[in-house]
Amino acid sequence: MDLDRFLRDPQSRRRFFRASGVSLAGGSAVFLAACTDDTKLSQEEIGPDESDAADVELLNSALDLELMAVAAYKAGAARLKGDVLQVGKLFLQHEQEHADGLIAAIKDAGGKPNQARATYDFPELRTQRDVLRFAIDLENTAIAAYIDLLPKLGEGDLRATAAAILSNEAEHVAVLLGALGEEQVPDAFVVGKVT
Amino acid sequence: MAPRERIVIADGPAGSAQIAEFERDRRDVLRRGLGLGGAVVVAASSIPLLLSVRNAFAQTSGDAEILGKAIHLEQVAVLAYGAAIDSGRLGVELSRVAARFRDHEQQHADVLTTALTDLGGMAPQPATAKDVEGFVKRLDDAESQTDLANLAIEFETATVAAYLDAQRKLIDGKLLQTGASIMANEAQHLVVLRELAKLDPVPNAFVTGKK
Repeated sequence: MDLDRFLRDPQSRRRFFRASGVSLAGGSAVFLAACTDDTKLSQEEIGPDESDAADVELLNSALDLELMAVAAYKAGAARLKGDVLQVGKLFLQHEQEHADGLIAAIKDAGGKPNQARATYDFPELRTQRDVLRFAIDLENTAIAAYIDLLPKLGEGDLRATAAAILSNEAEHVAVLLGALGEEQVPDAFVVGKVT
Repeated sequence: MAPRERIVIADGPAGSAQIAEFERDRRDVLRRGLGLGGAVVVAASSIPLLLSVRNAFAQTSGDAEILGKAIHLEQVAVLAYGAAIDSGRLGVELSRVAARFRDHEQQHADVLTTALTDLGGMAPQPATAKDVEGFVKRLDDAESQTDLANLAIEFETATVAAYLDAQRKLIDGKLLQTGASIMANEAQHLVVLRELAKLDPVPNAFVTGKK
């Protein structure tokens, strides 16, 4: 299943970040293939998932990070100029895309997505350099969180999706480091850091 | 609300999937070549290499087998970057980048080899010059630093796709994390290479190795 389809498909999205270790590659695949039109599947037909509560908690944790990143890029935009401002806008869009996918997954799992906080306790961002450094910290925190999460995912497509997001955060780090005039790929292994 | 796309289970015989992927690669290569007025001549001999990288883990089962394929993949990357450096065709910046990335690929190979031996497996036979013949041909055909950067982009993109596939197949938690940290590193390589090729450094919000 490709990523685009995965993000549109509720049955897959609701398994996003599943930590139960249950693989659905066999019977569920046959079941889904037998469905002539999955748009007809109501939530009741799909049925409750015993791991939904855990899913929602994990999804909301990831969503919190993505929403914080969105807020950070918005807050920092005022200090950015020229090409760096364009980069900030692009990365804001990427984080919003990640958040949108997570929100959809939480709703599909019957959960309530966390809202962005009214305010965030960000450090004072006086200069473009401050914003870039803070953005790198946020991105690295997200990378570490996703890497920590990967082994808890039971289904392969979900792990692939998480890896696709964390690799995008790694790309962001490379660009941000470059904007600071620093080595863009400092290490052979990208592990992020927990702040 | 637009109807959701129906789920299609595309898994079929492995050979069919490979053929389909080859056709996609071939069509994409042809399309890009034609789009540039035929200015870019793609050596047919390089397609099997890129396809083999992209599908490195397509028919593997079990962590040890995947590790063996990943080690070979990284060894090929080391040789490819080495061949590019030794060709003398890289400019100062691209040469610096290639040397650094070659070192990264070697580190990946070393760590994966340790992981494999820890599992009780044996390291695969080292990659040889024959494994990068197609790549070397492409090096010879490149007409500019941009062409050379694009060649590395193709290779790294295929590598990302392979590691994404590995996420679906690996079982051990630490190996999943190692694979993801390598995949993210290859994604960072792509940022640098795209900048050198004057391309959008981060074209998508999700890194999948799709072209």
